[in-house]
Amino acid sequence: MAKDPYDEDYARPVRRLLLTVLVLCLIALVLVWRIDNPRVERMRAAVIDRVVPNMEWAMAPITGLARMVDDFQSYARLFEQNQELRRELQQMRAWREAALQLEQENARLLDLNRVQLDPELTFVTGIVMADAGGPFRRSVLINVGARDGILDGWATMDGLGVVGRVSGVGERTSRVLLLTDSNSRIPVTILPSGQQALLMGDNTQAPILEFIEDVEDVSAGDRVVTSGDGGLFPPGLLVGQIVQTTDRRLRARLAADLARLNFLRVMRSHPGTSLGAPGDLIGPPWPPPEGFVLPPGIQPTPRPDAAARLLRDGVFP
Amino acid sequence: MNGLTSARHVWSYRALFLVLCFCIITLMLLPLGLNDAGLPGPDLLLAVTFAWLLRQPAVVPIASILIVFLLADFLFQRPPGLWTLLVIVTSESLRRRRLTMTEFPFLVEWSAFTGAVIGMVILNHLTLWILMVDLPPLGLTLAHGLVTAAIYPLVVLVSKFLFGLRKIGPAEAEAL
Repeated sequence: MAKDPYDEDYARPVRRLLLTVLVLCLIALVLVWRIDNPRVERMRAAVIDRVVPNMEWAMAPITGLARMVDDFQSYARLFEQNQELRRELQQMRAWREAALQLEQENARLLDLNRVQLDPELTFVTGIVMADAGGPFRRSVLINVGARDGILDGWATMDGLGVVGRVSGVGERTSRVLLLTDSNSRIPVTILPSGQQALLMGDNTQAPILEFIEDVEDVSAGDRVVTSGDGGLFPPGLLVGQIVQTTDRRLRARLAADLARLNFLRVMRSHPGTSLGAPGDLIGPPWPPPEGFVLPPGIQPTPRPDAAARLLRDGVFP
Repeated sequence: MNGLTSARHVWSYRALFLVLCFCIITLMLLPLGLNDAGLPGPDLLLAVTFAWLLRQPAVVPIASILIVFLLADFLFQRPPGLWTLLVIVTSESLRRRRLTMTEFPFLVEWSAFTGAVIGMVILNHLTLWILMVDLPPLGLTLAHGLVTAAIYPLVVLVSKFLFGLRKIGPAEAEAL
């Protein structure tokens, strides 16, 4: 009779050869990932695009059930919550009054100044399908993708604050890197002092604020908004509030509720016109198009900015 | 041929292994624990794979490991292939040392598993460091490995009593 075939198998050279080939292939895969990262990441997006939407029939009910259990547990604290909500409601009434007054004032001022609000800040809403799975990656998968015009790098928000940015777009899905991920860095402005800083995720719930110029000027409770530096994010999106931890580091408590992400807004941001070159004079196209005839009595002059010696010699012969 | 090594038994458990692994992957992908920082959760896939491998190596062939872990690498945003590579190499070494382990009490198996996991975590970290990839803190990764090692007896119990996966000892394997 045969022995346990699989204990014996490994000794066979065929198996050893197979194993070696497999190991080499995997090493090659890792190296290719490291060298040619974007291509492999696109491949990853394609794999996720194929696999995850197929899992949804199983995942949706479980997620729903777990959320229901979560909600049910909160019934235990119903009385406490009720009290808390009443207190908050009273505060909110006062705020609402203030907000209404401010809104009126704002509308009046905008009208006085004839301000055009940026019409390009529109959004696409997606539903969170899955998270990253591993303990060291903070990202979620949403069900809108290249099909819906999503581009890499766009900001995403829940109703209140910034959640993260799109990193990796598939045909039907895209991945949102949360602000808490250790790879996430976004430029922010601290209000009201107007200091610039960098918000760096470090796998905890409150990302660290680094590179603040004048730490004395910043205090706990200040608002943190995106600064729009680098052209990645639209400026002025709410991120959160500053808290100071016991080790005297400044962190941001996020306004977005990362524990209960359900719907996400992907903000369509368009790259602004960039001023890459020094200004030329605005005029008719130069040299004049074919068939262009000067009116009688007018001498053709050299290019006007060349005539004004704005350009260095040698550019125009 | 007795029941534990018959083709039907082996193939049904191979299928069961794949199904179980896909269930675990799906569970890990659920957008529930988005906010729990602190101690990272255990790597259930690894614990199940090695527990089954040490019980009955025939039900966890290399092909299954390759499929499951490569898919997990892609879905969980890990460097594709690296963790799969480590798991396959470690699984081969465990397969080879399995028979010496089965005669000893469970503690020996457990410590072997712990050693393997910690070794894999450190190798993984080292490789990523050499490749100059952004790294999670070493303390957290080691904690991840330790939590995985801590969950191992539970996985073994569940495999044994829920899935009826008995250990094939050397005597049994010889006697067939």
